[in-house]
Amino acid sequence: MGWDYVIGILILSGINLMTALGLSLLTGFTGLFSFGHAGFIAIGAYTATTITMKYNIFPESMLWLQFYLALIIAGLVSMLVSLIIGKLTLNLKGDYFCIATLGFGEAIRLILDNVSYFGGARGLPNIPTVGTTTITNVIIIDIIAVICLVFIINSRHGRNMTAIREDELAAQTIGINVFKYKMIALAISAFYAGIAGGMLAHYLGFIQPIMFKMIKSTELTIMVVFGGLGSVSGTVIGTLLLTFLPEVLRSFYNWRLVLYGAAIIIIMIARPQGIMGGKEFRIITFFKKIGRKEEVKS
Amino acid sequence: MNKRLLLIISVLLVFTMIFSACQNTDTGKPSEEETIKIGWIGGLTGDFAPWGTCESNAANLIAEQTNANGGILGRKVEIISYDTRGDAAESVNAVKRLITQDKVIAVLGPNTSGQAMSITSVLNEHKVPNIATVATNPTVTVQTDGTVNPYNFRICFIDPYQGAVAAGYAADRLGYTKGAVLYDVSSDASQAFSEYFQQTFIEKGGEIVAVEGFKGGDVDFRPQLSKIKEANPEVILFPYNYKDVALSANQARELGITATLMGGDGWPSEVLMEMAGEAIEGSFIVNHLDIADPVVKEFTEQYVEKYDIKPEINAYLVHDAFKLLEAAIIDANSFDTVKITESLTKVTVEGLTGTIRLSEEDHNPIGKQAAIQEIVNKEYVFKERYSPY
Amino acid sequence: MNVFLQQVVNGLSIGSIYALMSVGYSLVYSIMNFSNFAHGGVIMIGAYLGYFCLTQLGVPFILAIIMTAIGAGLLAVSIERIVYSSLRKRNAPSLYFLISAMGASIFLENIIIASPIGPTFRSYPAIFSSTPIMLGNTALSRIDLLMFIISFISLILLIFIIEKTKIGLSIRATAFNIKGSTLMGVNVDKVIFIIFLLGGLLAGIAGMLFGMKYTVYPQMGEITTKSFIAAVFGGLGSLPGAVIGSILLGLIETMSSAYISSQYRDLIAFTLLIFILIVKPTGLMGKSTEDKA
Repeated sequence: MGWDYVIGILILSGINLMTALGLSLLTGFTGLFSFGHAGFIAIGAYTATTITMKYNIFPESMLWLQFYLALIIAGLVSMLVSLIIGKLTLNLKGDYFCIATLGFGEAIRLILDNVSYFGGARGLPNIPTVGTTTITNVIIIDIIAVICLVFIINSRHGRNMTAIREDELAAQTIGINVFKYKMIALAISAFYAGIAGGMLAHYLGFIQPIMFKMIKSTELTIMVVFGGLGSVSGTVIGTLLLTFLPEVLRSFYNWRLVLYGAAIIIIMIARPQGIMGGKEFRIITFFKKIGRKEEVKS
Repeated sequence: MNKRLLLIISVLLVFTMIFSACQNTDTGKPSEEETIKIGWIGGLTGDFAPWGTCESNAANLIAEQTNANGGILGRKVEIISYDTRGDAAESVNAVKRLITQDKVIAVLGPNTSGQAMSITSVLNEHKVPNIATVATNPTVTVQTDGTVNPYNFRICFIDPYQGAVAAGYAADRLGYTKGAVLYDVSSDASQAFSEYFQQTFIEKGGEIVAVEGFKGGDVDFRPQLSKIKEANPEVILFPYNYKDVALSANQARELGITATLMGGDGWPSEVLMEMAGEAIEGSFIVNHLDIADPVVKEFTEQYVEKYDIKPEINAYLVHDAFKLLEAAIIDANSFDTVKITESLTKVTVEGLTGTIRLSEEDHNPIGKQAAIQEIVNKEYVFKERYSPY
Repeated sequence: MNVFLQQVVNGLSIGSIYALMSVGYSLVYSIMNFSNFAHGGVIMIGAYLGYFCLTQLGVPFILAIIMTAIGAGLLAVSIERIVYSSLRKRNAPSLYFLISAMGASIFLENIIIASPIGPTFRSYPAIFSSTPIMLGNTALSRIDLLMFIISFISLILLIFIIEKTKIGLSIRATAFNIKGSTLMGVNVDKVIFIIFLLGGLLAGIAGMLFGMKYTVYPQMGEITTKSFIAAVFGGLGSLPGAVIGSILLGLIETMSSAYISSQYRDLIAFTLLIFILIVKPTGLMGKSTEDKA
């Protein structure tokens, strides 16, 4: 069995999951839809790469520390940019916000294409891959990310965000600062996307602006919706499934994306609320349900 | 309730598919001892689909021909092609699958530098060689600090060379002194080609009067071309693929630009002639090979016979990559990937794109001279083999 | 001065292509309140239909354009039936429509690549002379002129249907208030059918003209991102807004290429877009309704 291949897909799922978690907060809990998160991933990827390659302050044996530091800075830089973007665009509604983020994502790509410090369209090669984005690191980071997200969602802030998604006007009326919470959601999602970018760069060992096209953002949003809006476990399942799906379809040669497109349409027709449909997967409730079913049977 | 059942079934189905996909090669391994597998990756969908499809088709054709002649070292060859959409992350997955599940002995393709550079660490880890077809970025085979990537090879020439040839030819042979460039800012190859062209053109005493850019996917270049027209250059470089070449050339002529057009390996294609035959009349291109060469023609005919469509330039490059690999396997007298890798720099083959021998220092073809062609009466007419150095 | 005039012509010509595409977007948006990303796919299929009508069937140009429009219209309607109708019946939020639309556009693009048609670029047979009409030093291409005329005719027809006919009245009513119009006896299903048919007809014409002017290939639907932006510029759901937004976007792109930097063209265009939206959050002529997302 090609374990290395499976692990490779798992790493990629883990990287996708980072961004998807952030998007899950933004889209699933505040109802904002972004086309520009590839831009935040790009910012993260380029920041992390610059740090590990040009500002390497730790000795060789401490590479992992350098890596984690780079990721955090990558996340913070993305977050900083998101604050500026958010300030300008968060007052826009629905598709207008969506288009503004699209513009942002494409603008970032265009800037990276033109700036020779970052290698321009030719990209940055030779990023250290050994001992950086390993499966262990990815799992650790993902688990931390999930725990943090669950904490945020279950906090008062999380409930306020859900209120905004359900009815923005009503939320405003009862005194929730809508703009502030949208900003928080955007900043956190950008932070997550930045970290994902850093991990991606160190997984591939090479980055280039064309990797961060708009389609990347839409794919990630599809993963979140596929899993079910407003559900963290749904996001995890959706991301895993949709990262594995193209791989499973790989032997279909060039029919692969036809089937991928069809799969999205079918799931939206059969189950528009996504796989988890806003509910969380909890082991206890799962067993309770089974227990209940057996009771009924007996 | 019914839908939930449907959903559970479909999820289960997906997972069984994953595991069956993972396992079938495992169980099938001993029985398939006779055939050897060679991988190919590249974009069969997405922006590079026309070139990727052709490359994969050509690889299959050559494998068939090889098998008809008794295979390699008496064993049948099978090509396994995976689509990457031209995406780097996908190419890593595809190569991992090729190496760890399909147990390929070598990987051919991909058709962009970005993909070739992303798979380096996978190749190094598993010690499987890759022969890239049109990955022209120098860092595909040699890292920025000068170390050679041990398992990355390429069959094509590199960006600085192509740029220098085009500029050298324009300045020295054609005697132009005022040049202009229109390039695709989002394409690595286009950006590199245009940069090295400008550099050499200026070194040769020429002047670059306009440099304009567009973004991949654009179809209208008239704003940029109107600006170039104003600068009044004698020669304009169009360093990108033939779809954009056709559109920009037609639009340039429409605007009344009469300057000579120049291009590189993105140009050669029958489709370009259909799309912009008149507009590119009298243009010069830097090509990998002379299409009118009888050996090349023979292969073209075989390809057309099988697929009923004219091949792109990638077909010839993947042909040479395959032949080189075949020679290396015979030289190594083994299917061991490390031994094949060692032999790759030892063998010399007569390919469609010239005599091919890969250098040990940088894994690039040695002394491969670019062919300069002029477009006359909708044909690529071979002018000369030219080297600027 | 001559160059400036040429750039204005260039900008108008690019803008008019965007206009034909963005009107279809806006039309669907005005009723359904979501951005129909499958529109790009329909335009692409339209371009192929037109190509095959002209090359394989050998029908005259006018007939080809009518056949293409009808074909694309039927495709748009069937997409609505298959992909959107069940979502619509469940009152799903617009995000779900958006995702389904993306699925549809991935599907359409790749089915062309995988089918025998393949990923190759195709060019329309030359119907009109490619030598431009010269006005002094300014070149005006014949296809551009034709496009202006056809776009103009189809937009006038569209406005006539919406403003003067009975079905147009129901469309306007539904756009204004979907629930209210249902109560007043408007058959919403029929209105949506008509909307998608009209959008599809326009997409077919746009695809064919685009193919004639440039080329035909499976990824050409991507260019509709631009028309989507143009529709937002003008104000989503407003037809005159979509046209004005498109022309404006064409001009802005051209002028920033010409007088600032062609390398940074989109950056300039997008920055301007964001600033316009900050000043006018619903675009130039958008209606300010609560978003239903």
